[in-house]
Amino acid sequence: MAEYHLTAPLKDEDVMQLHIGDTVYLSGPCFTCRSKLQRYIFDEKHTLPFTPADGSVLIHNGPIVVKRDTGWELMSFMPTSSIRFEKWGAASIKEWNLKLVCGKTTMGEQTAKAMQEMHCVHVSPRSVSPLLWIDSIEIEGVDLFEEMGSIEAPWHFKLNELGPFVVDMDCYGNNLFDEIDKEVRENKKKVYNTLGIPEDFRYTRLYGNENTCEP
Amino acid sequence: MIKKHLIEEAAFQAIRNGSTNISPDVRAAFERAIAGETNAGAREGLSKTLDSIRLAEIHDRPSCADTGWPIFYVKAGNEAEIEGGFMALEESIRNAVRRATKEGYIRATMKDPLTGFDPGDNIGPNIPDFTYKFVPGTELEITYCAKGGGSECFGGTRQKVVAFADGTKGIEKFVIDAFADAARAGAICPPSIIGVGIGGTANVAANLAKEAACLRQAGSHHPEQKIRDIEDRLYRGINGLGFGILGAGGNTSALAVNVEYAYTHIAGIVVAISCNCMVARRATFKIKADGSIEKLPGAYWFGDR
Repeated sequence: MAEYHLTAPLKDEDVMQLHIGDTVYLSGPCFTCRSKLQRYIFDEKHTLPFTPADGSVLIHNGPIVVKRDTGWELMSFMPTSSIRFEKWGAASIKEWNLKLVCGKTTMGEQTAKAMQEMHCVHVSPRSVSPLLWIDSIEIEGVDLFEEMGSIEAPWHFKLNELGPFVVDMDCYGNNLFDEIDKEVRENKKKVYNTLGIPEDFRYTRLYGNENTCEP
Repeated sequence: MIKKHLIEEAAFQAIRNGSTNISPDVRAAFERAIAGETNAGAREGLSKTLDSIRLAEIHDRPSCADTGWPIFYVKAGNEAEIEGGFMALEESIRNAVRRATKEGYIRATMKDPLTGFDPGDNIGPNIPDFTYKFVPGTELEITYCAKGGGSECFGGTRQKVVAFADGTKGIEKFVIDAFADAARAGAICPPSIIGVGIGGTANVAANLAKEAACLRQAGSHHPEQKIRDIEDRLYRGINGLGFGILGAGGNTSALAVNVEYAYTHIAGIVVAISCNCMVARRATFKIKADGSIEKLPGAYWFGDR
């Protein structure tokens, strides 16, 4: 598990050295998005009002920003769950020249495929620590503020050693959380055993095709 | 007579405190978790989260950017006199939400579910949400909870009807399975405070689960042994799953498991689960009949727990 300090825009070699479980700190420019922007661009076919540089960093995030007389003030920042943007993951990587996506949770199969093809990774926080992060973030500007609102508009940040993040998807098709899933499945059997729940336990079916929580 | 402006002030203070801090019981649960976590990366994550919470209080900023659904619990004294009545109380709390949103203590997160319209002030149909409990006396206690999007949206909140034939094992299996689904990749921001509601109609079970997750003192126990046993078993079970902070591995997946119950129909048992974020945010302010406002250490929604 190595530690890397990366500066955007990123090159292929920056990303290809990363493997799941590695720690990453980020510097340089990045921009933010949530689903409203992706829907607006990819589904409703609007044009992004800026051109992301080759090797861009995207953070899935809806910051709390307040407008003061002196300019924008970042009140709080926490990467949000990436999995809900899976629908547009591959398109974002390809259209926005992304080499790194930062967000909570992880992403799905289609994005993983695009990450292998385009050499891109996903990194995830290991703490909820906005107050340790906001000093590493400078707000450079915002686009589509009127259309998207302050949470869903693409903010342009300049990062200075923002992190640590863990690489949960590398560009070789590996996912850290798939590895943890295997351990959890084994642990769950032990937990059932401790609680006296038989492994072949089946719920009495009360309606339809329920049992949605069956393993 | 409790004046409207006092209600607005108490609600605003509850939001400000709730958003920028965690209550002493949750803080103590965090400290226990840090002491008991054996995975070094997870321990560092827990420590950093607690450090950030301390700084959030000092710098008066939200301890998480997702300030969630704004929900309010009001304990109203049966003899309390409220200027303008309960409709005025709700309008005063809505005003506090507007102000807190404008000042950046809550993010403008609430929007129209169908059109996506963002009112910008977190006010809309049935939002904020109000729940009341009537108690003896002349005072008002207002609790603000920030119910985070992750903990609510990714399967950490759901329910199932369990047949009497499946009993306690069926109930416990549902909670373990639901949590294991929901905590994958840290979606619900574990380690969670897990509320479980057993019995009643579907809404009763769901409300008990949410109140157990959001309002119960972390580390408290249900006074009835049969419920306390379920709390203990589920707490040990969930912490044995290996999710750790944000699902990246560790032996702390639950900060607390709180179970509440209601009597049910002979036909079946509704079981509901509601998970609260590790940065479990709530604050309670009391307004006395003499007009003074006091911060309370907990919501004590269920008696002394």
